[in-house]
Amino acid sequence: MAQFHEDPALLTKEKLKSELLANNVPLPSADSKKDVYVQLYLKNLTVLNKKNTSAPAPDTFSSDEEMTAPLLSGRSRSGKKATRKTDRVRPVENDISGLTDEELKGQLMKYGVLSGPIVASTRKVYEKKLQQLLEQPPLESSLPEPETTIPEALTIKAGGNQNGNTHSAEEQYSDKEEEVGPVPEPVPVVSKPVRSRGKTPVTVRTSSRQRTKQQVEETATDTEETVDGGDILKEIFPNEPATPTGITVTCRKPIRGAAGRPVKPLSLWSEESLQQQNTYTVTKSSVTDVRSATPAARPRPRRWFAFWLKLLVFIALAASLYYAFQYVTTDQINACQLYVQDNVITPIANYIRWETPAEGGDDK
Amino acid sequence: MSSTSQKHKDFVAEPMGEKSVMALAGIGEVLGRRLEEKGFDKAYVVLGQFLVLKKDEELFREWLKDTCGANTKQQGDCYSCLREWCDSFL
Repeated sequence: MAQFHEDPALLTKEKLKSELLANNVPLPSADSKKDVYVQLYLKNLTVLNKKNTSAPAPDTFSSDEEMTAPLLSGRSRSGKKATRKTDRVRPVENDISGLTDEELKGQLMKYGVLSGPIVASTRKVYEKKLQQLLEQPPLESSLPEPETTIPEALTIKAGGNQNGNTHSAEEQYSDKEEEVGPVPEPVPVVSKPVRSRGKTPVTVRTSSRQRTKQQVEETATDTEETVDGGDILKEIFPNEPATPTGITVTCRKPIRGAAGRPVKPLSLWSEESLQQQNTYTVTKSSVTDVRSATPAARPRPRRWFAFWLKLLVFIALAASLYYAFQYVTTDQINACQLYVQDNVITPIANYIRWETPAEGGDDK
Repeated sequence: MSSTSQKHKDFVAEPMGEKSVMALAGIGEVLGRRLEEKGFDKAYVVLGQFLVLKKDEELFREWLKDTCGANTKQQGDCYSCLREWCDSFL
């Protein structure tokens, strides 16, 4: 055939690979060292170069016993050190247990098997492995593929028989992660109705109060949470269609009409919102009446309702502050102060006086 | 649902110390006795073998089968037990 290189170590690994392929030499496993390719090249191609025959050198390993004799005789003519080395080793392959530890390791290396130390306890296993490799070289290239594909198919098998048990284990772990993901989601759903199931009116109110509090005070974070939840959920459930709420199950919506809850929770809502707004107004000490502003009939879009409510409160506060800055005179402020003083301080003072009659009043 | 046994969880939860070889998942009385006869009397000795085989699954399974006659499931249990222990403590 063509002129092959005398010293294939000069070639690059890729070149060696392509040369081997071009001459139908079965390649070892994917990430073999260059030495492996060099050996194969030397064995198969340099020899051909010398002999210049079309002997089926690639079939070396499968038909080892038959080919050893003529090859041996052919090779003994050559004066190459490299071939001599292989010359020595090749017949010994038939008797694997006769190999020394280093030879066994070298043999395994040729097949691209990075073996560990060959000790007394490991020797037997490696001998078996080499035997398998010698018996099934044509399946070498095809073996890794089904091994890698099968573990992907084996999703949740405990004792996977394939070499890719690592994958199934990883998938076990990922399964665990997946389970952990949705578990906290339904838990809040369950916990809230469970709470209310025990004592109906009180707990319903508290849960709704929690809801209102959360939504009035944290609508901004609410949206953020849903967005974050959506991202995580997209990771966990990539196949789920994107919904406005992120998932089809939301943790904040209790089941209406179930567990003794009112079908229309809005009656409670309006009461709670009223209380909230009253607290707001009292703390700011303005006398605006926001009750009229509370909406009465907004059944479905609760979040939007909360937002609107918050906006109203904000506007009310802004208006009151504006009013205060613009129209209230200092006289009125003084009058207000006196009023507050009279109504608030004096009772406290009286209380203190009542407590400790010896002391004088604590006037501010 | 996890597919690991209680034995596996117990073993993986803490350093193995001087635990007997029968503490390994997949290794019961019979297999444990066989391993002890071969000289693998403590779990750490089997760990040593596992590490010498470079934590390779196939080789370790093969070795286990040859040494104590473990079946496929037992091999798998022992392998995953040791591997997980190594991931946590090694």
